[in-house]
Amino acid sequence: MQNAISRRTALKGGAAAVAMTLAAPTILRADEAISIGSLTPNTGGGGPFGPNITASHKRVADLVNSQGGVLGREIRLFQENSETNPETAVRAADKLINVNKVLGILGTWSSSVTLGIMPRCQEAGVIQMCTSSSADIPARDQKGLVFNFQALSPVWGRAIGDLSLRRGFETFNVMALNNDFTGSMIDGFVGVVGRDKILVEPFYYNGGQASYRSEVTQLIGEDPEAVFIPAYVTDFTSVYKEIFRQGYEGQVISVSIATTPAFKDVIGDAANGIIHGVPVPPITSPAYKEYLTEAGLEDTGSVQHPFGTAGRDQMSVLLLAMEKAGTTDTAEIAKAIWDVTTGEGKKTVYNVTDGLAAIRAGEEINYSGASSSIEFDEEGMVLGRDFQLAEIRDGKDVVIERLEF
Amino acid sequence: MSWQILVNGLVNAALIAPPAIALSLIFGVMRFPNFAIGGYITVGAFFAYAVNVDLGAPIWLAAIAAMIGTAVVVWLSDALVFRPMQGRGPVTLLVLSIALTLILEHIVRLFYGADVRGFDLPLQRPYRFGDIRITQEQIEIIVLAIAIAAITHLILQYTRTGKAVRATADNPMLAQVRGIDTGWIILLTWLYCGMLFGLTGVLAGLDLVIEPLVGWYLTIPIFAAAILGGIGSPYGAMLGALLVGLAEELTVLILPSTYKIGVGFVIIAILLLVRPQGLLGRPEIKK
Repeated sequence: MQNAISRRTALKGGAAAVAMTLAAPTILRADEAISIGSLTPNTGGGGPFGPNITASHKRVADLVNSQGGVLGREIRLFQENSETNPETAVRAADKLINVNKVLGILGTWSSSVTLGIMPRCQEAGVIQMCTSSSADIPARDQKGLVFNFQALSPVWGRAIGDLSLRRGFETFNVMALNNDFTGSMIDGFVGVVGRDKILVEPFYYNGGQASYRSEVTQLIGEDPEAVFIPAYVTDFTSVYKEIFRQGYEGQVISVSIATTPAFKDVIGDAANGIIHGVPVPPITSPAYKEYLTEAGLEDTGSVQHPFGTAGRDQMSVLLLAMEKAGTTDTAEIAKAIWDVTTGEGKKTVYNVTDGLAAIRAGEEINYSGASSSIEFDEEGMVLGRDFQLAEIRDGKDVVIERLEF
Repeated sequence: MSWQILVNGLVNAALIAPPAIALSLIFGVMRFPNFAIGGYITVGAFFAYAVNVDLGAPIWLAAIAAMIGTAVVVWLSDALVFRPMQGRGPVTLLVLSIALTLILEHIVRLFYGADVRGFDLPLQRPYRFGDIRITQEQIEIIVLAIAIAAITHLILQYTRTGKAVRATADNPMLAQVRGIDTGWIILLTWLYCGMLFGLTGVLAGLDLVIEPLVGWYLTIPIFAAAILGGIGSPYGAMLGALLVGLAEELTVLILPSTYKIGVGFVIIAILLLVRPQGLLGRPEIKK
């Protein structure tokens, strides 16, 4: 009995193996994995939001890997915690860029973190995808590698100012956390309500203070009808306690990232009546509904995971653009990001699976996301997020106005 | 507004006086600046949170539990961290204390995460006296701080243990020769200071929020108060707390609020240049 393999059999076997390797996308070339960094605020001021962004990045990367990866290569995700702290973030970015060799850093949240790591990313040609609102972000992006999935803060300020005026307030005072995010928000707010309606010169305070007493005394001086305080949840909780303890009875207005469920738990009934605004996902869009399913959430009809949805969109857009560009060259990917997100007359897709299939079928796509329809301006800033103003009533957010774009 | 700012300063002073006294006492007997105070205060806040919110006990009981719990943690930090390193010099102990505060913060983070938390107490509206507003809680904080200062004074001045603490702080070798059990005195000092740090955690949780960095927010003003008064001098710490508390709040009348955090550093820098021993401290004579 002969067990020898004939030349013909060996050739057939070899050809079959090559064909299987090419045809079966689930067998990925792990040694040539594409490295992507996820740098999220899992602690600190962004702590309530970072884990949702991280989870979204991972879900999309895992899904794409299970379907064969991108360009036939595995996606390898490296996750770091920015602690919502620019110094920590720069160290983490150095590690992601120099050790992990990532081609993109996704998920930065606070503007100071996004701006802090920008010089490192620009120098290394690394793409940044963020949900930060400082107006300095597009100005400092010299290479066209930054894509922002959040409306810039002047837009927040103008929207909140506009909605506040419509509620009939005539005098305001403004105090803001001293960072890149809130600076231009105040300009937007004051621009809309008018300088003559502000009783005390708007001013800033630092986070992490041992007390906010005198700042609040200054804020409620001359007894304005409403005070606007753009802030993060940690400092806003202390500030609001002090506002209440100093007996202010006018309207307190802030941003929704400062009035999280944890804030409402701490403040209790005294939180009722606070008005807050934030750009929100389009809750009727198919992508948002898909996100709820992916994240295991019930559709409550109100906004959930405003930043987790952006995390899904960031990873999806990056991978779609990579497939579209056909390369891992970041300059080419950056150009392809506009191709897969912006412009009319293309096939609309709501998830990465459909998007990759369409691109591979040679179709032009426009990805419409869970956080917004994802259309970028020429500076890589997202256009037209819906904006929502809510009031806390009985410990719950009740939507009182919504601007749809 | 300026009268209100004076009241604001008084409440601040009341918050930082007890830990500044504790910091001074520890420095007196251990001879190193202990930066772990931030971690101790955070631990105190979370002990009280656990008892008040998780177990549903009233806040006064939570405060007592926090004082006892923090005293144990502070004693353990001495037994496990500082005592084995004794004799390595104050710089080594200082660096160790910075590491310890980070470790304590992260242990808290491990169990409770980074979210803000608060005690199970409703917020209070203030009493009004003309333009001045103050809540009952703030009056209680001021009364408590005065009581602690008085008790510390009485202990140090009139009890055998207090005199032994002062003797140990002055010269531990000589105190030992005179028959004082300095090991026991140091242990008692750690426990008393631990209770004060635990109480500060509770007060900080009431005044600000409960989160892993709450102790760190108070660290610089506490150090500024202790150094201003003369580190190692509990009476100086009381005076220092009053001056730092007032200075920080009065700053906003003449400077933008964003410079407020720097006031503590400026006070430390000026004092170290002009009067290194602090207002009530005695110059150290090295032979």
